[in-house]
Amino acid sequence: MEELRDKEAFDTAQYIVIRLGDEKYGIDIRYVDNILRIQQITRVPKVAAYFKGVINLRGEVVPVMSVRVKMGLDEVEDTKDTRIIILKAEGIEKIGIIVDEVKEVVTLESTQVDRMAYDSKEEKSAFVTAVGKCSDDDLISLLDIHAVLAEQGV
Amino acid sequence: MDVSQYLEIFIDETKEHLQSLNTQILELEQDPENENTINEIFRAAHSLKGMAGTMGYKRMQTLTHDMENVFSEVRNGAIKVNSEMIDILFQCLDALDEYLTNIQQSADEGTNENEALIKALNEQMGAKGAAAKPAEKKEQSAASEGASDEAKKWLEIKLDDTQKSVIGKAASQGQNVYGINVVVHETCLLKAARAFLVFKAIEKYGEIIVSNPSAQDIEDEKFELEFSLIIVSASELAPILEAIKNVSEIDNAVGEKMDVSEYITEEPKPQETAVVESSGQVAVAEQAKPETAKAKEKKQGAVSKPVVNRTVRVDIEKLDVLMNLVSELIIAKNSLVSASGAEGGMGTAFNEQIEYLESVTTNLHESVMKVRMVPIESVVNKFPRMIRDLSKKLDKKMELYMTGEETELDRTVVDEIGDPLMHLLRNSADHGLESAEIRRQRGKSETGSIFLNAYQDGNNVVIEVGDDGNGIDTEAVKLKAIERGVITPEQAENMTEKDIVDLLFNAGFSTAKVVSDVSGRGVGLDVVKSKIESLSGEVEVKTKLGEGSTFIIRLPLTLAIIQALMVVVGGEKYAISLGSIQTLEDVPVSDIKLVQSKEVINLRENVIPLIRINEMLDIDSSKGPDENLMVVIVKKGDKLAGLVVDDLIGQQEIVIKSLGKYINKCKIISGATILGDGEVALILDTNAML
Repeated sequence: MEELRDKEAFDTAQYIVIRLGDEKYGIDIRYVDNILRIQQITRVPKVAAYFKGVINLRGEVVPVMSVRVKMGLDEVEDTKDTRIIILKAEGIEKIGIIVDEVKEVVTLESTQVDRMAYDSKEEKSAFVTAVGKCSDDDLISLLDIHAVLAEQGV
Repeated sequence: MDVSQYLEIFIDETKEHLQSLNTQILELEQDPENENTINEIFRAAHSLKGMAGTMGYKRMQTLTHDMENVFSEVRNGAIKVNSEMIDILFQCLDALDEYLTNIQQSADEGTNENEALIKALNEQMGAKGAAAKPAEKKEQSAASEGASDEAKKWLEIKLDDTQKSVIGKAASQGQNVYGINVVVHETCLLKAARAFLVFKAIEKYGEIIVSNPSAQDIEDEKFELEFSLIIVSASELAPILEAIKNVSEIDNAVGEKMDVSEYITEEPKPQETAVVESSGQVAVAEQAKPETAKAKEKKQGAVSKPVVNRTVRVDIEKLDVLMNLVSELIIAKNSLVSASGAEGGMGTAFNEQIEYLESVTTNLHESVMKVRMVPIESVVNKFPRMIRDLSKKLDKKMELYMTGEETELDRTVVDEIGDPLMHLLRNSADHGLESAEIRRQRGKSETGSIFLNAYQDGNNVVIEVGDDGNGIDTEAVKLKAIERGVITPEQAENMTEKDIVDLLFNAGFSTAKVVSDVSGRGVGLDVVKSKIESLSGEVEVKTKLGEGSTFIIRLPLTLAIIQALMVVVGGEKYAISLGSIQTLEDVPVSDIKLVQSKEVINLRENVIPLIRINEMLDIDSSKGPDENLMVVIVKKGDKLAGLVVDDLIGQQEIVIKSLGKYINKCKIISGATILGDGEVALILDTNAML
């Protein structure tokens, strides 16, 4: 018990681990409002390609974007693992992002997170702020939600 | 003390008082002798002063105090109302308005002392300084008279056993038990706040055992002008009473040391017999006085003001929440309806209940809508004053006639409609009306008339703003447009009168020959137009050279829930507001003609351009090229267009939802709605297509 309490005292953050293609990414759990199975998305014309449209989230109309398209990855067919993660935080309107799979929730201590240098050659890296090392030596890229949601010149 | 919880009430009430002052002073200008008006103004100024004082806004208090003084003089007949005084008073109102704006933004009144205004006010007073003193004295003597005639109201308080034991204990410890009666000033507006301050003051000296009415009732302002208390304190009575009287707007406080044994045997006594120093008769007389004063007030009130409805102030946000819930309910009802349809009939009982539910939700929706509706009065009330100021500034005689101020619109629309209307009125005053000489030459009355008429027309509210002035000189507009390069001379040749008038709504177009600070700065009608359109309304102009022009604004009654026609385009469902639909037509392909390589149809002598919606929506139509076209004829003002859709689903009540800021780039989509089956459908903005 003692040990546990000590651990709590450390600076920790929880992340939802998602999969895009073969890579694992982490999303700070504080941003996550909800996780939904893929559902019918109504297309909205004349908007950026990464916006797949809008969905009905319990009576609320919420836009949904494809993180794959936004990050410059190829689009894939929806599978039974495909999920929509609804993000919400102060200063951000509710928005859904489509991911290939939601894996698990991990708790990372600040010592397990390494900041990453920005690599302008790779489009993806603009959205990744840091890398987290899980206990089983797995690496997950931590997404910068604000960068993911930021408007892009289309 | 913390008065922030009263700030909102203060702001609301101050606004009302300022508006009433504006109206009354305008009336006074017309009829300087009207006593009712003078009394009304005095009262409003007095209440403002009191409220500002309570809230600690010293500058506001000083200014209103001086205004009140001037009116007290006018009321006493010591000075006469003159136009200079009216001007100063209006300036004072503007200054107060400025304080209020500051308060609204930062809860602070700002630092503008408005010394010049105060000086000017005092000069008005100076015109008859001698008369001022007796009047004030009279008021004071009246107040001090009242002080001695208080009844021992605290004797009426019934004590329960615990309170008795607390008092007994305190007394046995050598503390004094006092009964105190506090009278709040008649015009005091924040009585609860006053009482709160009194309680605070007393708590410095001792402990309040019981109050009548109860502390809760006092907090809720459930008391007339006075309340009584029983307190225990180690202190003398005099400093406590002094502290209470120091709270402003407290007329009087009297108290007495209570006999400790008294509470046990005490029975309620009629108040006439329980007078402190003075005789019973005086007390009766004193009590009768406020009664008659009130009656008098009522009589005057009846003359100048309609009886105020019983109202509750509700935060608009709460209404928005309610409205959203009603929207949810309608969506849920719609899904029930579609579910019952899908399962091939669930029996008549079920269907009856569904129908019942439908009628309830429709009524509920209407009621909530009605709650949100406010008369446009609150906006148009300030216009008479504005026209008066403009009249002076432009040196033109003009009169504003308004009708239909009671016409109601959704609160959100009313809040937005003020500026466009003001623009149009200024336009009429500045550009519309001719100078007096020209008017005389034309055989019109020298005083120009400007009118504002509002009325409801079906699901729309129409507001007309116009004047009997010059009208729009279409030739001048045409020349100006050519000069500015808005149109070419060739285009001008082919334009109808109406097209030319519409040019006025172009950005940066102003025909005023002289740029004045009233209008003619190039921002004007285009702003009016875009504002009205953002409220889903429309503007049109009717004008006749030499006779005047009228701007007609049409606004929908509601913005949140509309009747819509559901259509299918390329397999996707879209909603079109029923309000903008003229007719539905089944058109054979052979009827399509080409004019300037654009598709049109000839429908009952009208040439109507066709819009292939599927192209605007980047989707393929599911219909073959030879099939008949399903065309929805939509109108905007008197422009028509035919929208080609694949199929019609039917009419439905829909709840408009915003698409949010991420995807609002698409101009032809005005929002989204949720259908009965939970699917999201987009709403087509036909105004943006035309």
